[in-house]
Amino acid sequence: MKKYFLQTVIVIFFILSGTANAYLDPGTGSIILQAILGFIAASIATASFYWNKVKLFFIKLFKKDKKSESN
Amino acid sequence: MSQIEIDPGSFRDPAGQIFSYNNKILRILENEGKSRFDFLKKNNLLENCISKDFLIQSNELTDNNLILDKFKNKTILEHKKLDYISYPYEWSFEQLKNAAIHHLDFHIYLLSNNATLLDASAFNIQYSGYKPIFIDILSIKQYEDGEYWKAHKQFCENFLNPLILKSKKGLDFNNWFKGNLEGITTKDLNAILNFKDKFSYNIFTQVVLLDYLEQKAQKNKSINIRKIKKKKFPKRSFVAMLNNLKKLIMSLELKKSKTTWDDYSKNNTYKTEEENLKKNIVKEFSNKYKFKILADLGCNDGVYSEICLNNGSEYVVGFDYDLNAVNNAFKSAKQKKLNFLPLYFDASNPSSNLGWAQNERKGFMERVNFSGMLSLAFEHHLSIAKNIPLDQVIEWHIRIAPRGLIEFVPKNDETIKKMLTLKGDIFKDYNEQNFRNLILKNAKINSEKIVSNSGRKIFEYSKN
Repeated sequence: MKKYFLQTVIVIFFILSGTANAYLDPGTGSIILQAILGFIAASIATASFYWNKVKLFFIKLFKKDKKSESN
Repeated sequence: MSQIEIDPGSFRDPAGQIFSYNNKILRILENEGKSRFDFLKKNNLLENCISKDFLIQSNELTDNNLILDKFKNKTILEHKKLDYISYPYEWSFEQLKNAAIHHLDFHIYLLSNNATLLDASAFNIQYSGYKPIFIDILSIKQYEDGEYWKAHKQFCENFLNPLILKSKKGLDFNNWFKGNLEGITTKDLNAILNFKDKFSYNIFTQVVLLDYLEQKAQKNKSINIRKIKKKKFPKRSFVAMLNNLKKLIMSLELKKSKTTWDDYSKNNTYKTEEENLKKNIVKEFSNKYKFKILADLGCNDGVYSEICLNNGSEYVVGFDYDLNAVNNAFKSAKQKKLNFLPLYFDASNPSSNLGWAQNERKGFMERVNFSGMLSLAFEHHLSIAKNIPLDQVIEWHIRIAPRGLIEFVPKNDETIKKMLTLKGDIFKDYNEQNFRNLILKNAKINSEKIVSNSGRKIFEYSKN
């Protein structure tokens, strides 16, 4: 996650900064788009990973409560 | 001895040019091409791509002695020769859609085998009947970890944008594509789409965002793409992007406007008896000559093409001006698994030689290779509707194939009466006698058969 975040920051930096050497090919927009989409896909994957962890935590908690109730 | 003819459309990739020799389609591999080919041979990737119907049949020639001395030490491939070469601007919506899905499926398969495609030109897909097939073996290369999809922009312009244009706005891409062989630019498409069209994640990212980034990159000369490319693009993101595009393309449906010829074969002015008479003539004609490749001018939804295919002919290329009819004909050919390729065709302005040196994409007449021809209820659309002199119309027809059927529609037929109501009768030479004489100037007449009460007549001609 950290890696992709860094990547996107770098990409955005290059879009907005005016300091790097001039070099442009016809697919520049397409390459930047891929970098952004790659980042979005990775973020969704990571978010769903943590979301599942949170869900699992509550499920376990809920089960524990049930067990203690029955005891 | 046969001549070696370099294909003028294959100059873009110096790794291996296409040429024809002895009626064969061959490719000479240079060093770079040879290394790409060697990679393909590894792990049976070439074999698998062919057996899965992704890639055109391609074999390495073992005996090069038949070819000129200068190619003796080169690797030469032989590709299966296709019956007819067609171009994306001659395809209907469904044909371009099927070609796009074929391209994406193939690319996804290649990525799972550690390979990728160098480009995404729609001209690298050809049709064999209703089946799309990838023809450019040297577009395949080994996948390098983290590499970006260099051909993404080309894929959008060649496949995605024309499909969105037709699906969302109902605009035909064909003549636009013919005018710009690179396809339809994202900038142009973005300018046409409205807010509602853009309200989808895929269209927003693939059109709106891409256009924004392209504009930004063009204005901002300081972007260093090499540095961006150093950051890896994960393979799973690459595959996800291809899958997303596939999902988007599969969801695009034809925005249909009803056209004149849309359901012509269901709603025409013929009586069933007359239609059966015509069908029998076509059936007999096909059974008699069993054509290797037949042209069906004004094919509509392919009723007569299908009759020919069921009666001895091997392959039919249909031509029609109406894109909805071509689309229906393609869907029917696919459903019935027919060796039938319907194409968009305006006979008064057919595909001409286009591209670099006007030689890259061939015109209609340059591709003519038909052994037979059908032209049923067609000639009056040129001679009456387009004012093309009858002698030229007939001479043009007979150049297409050495034998064929041409239907003459007389002036007292309802269809022509309607045409003349608006135009006025300025066609003094348009009559059956003149029609017959003009055929006889170019060929001989084998038979003449009346097919309607109005006096429509089918002439069978042959050149020898």
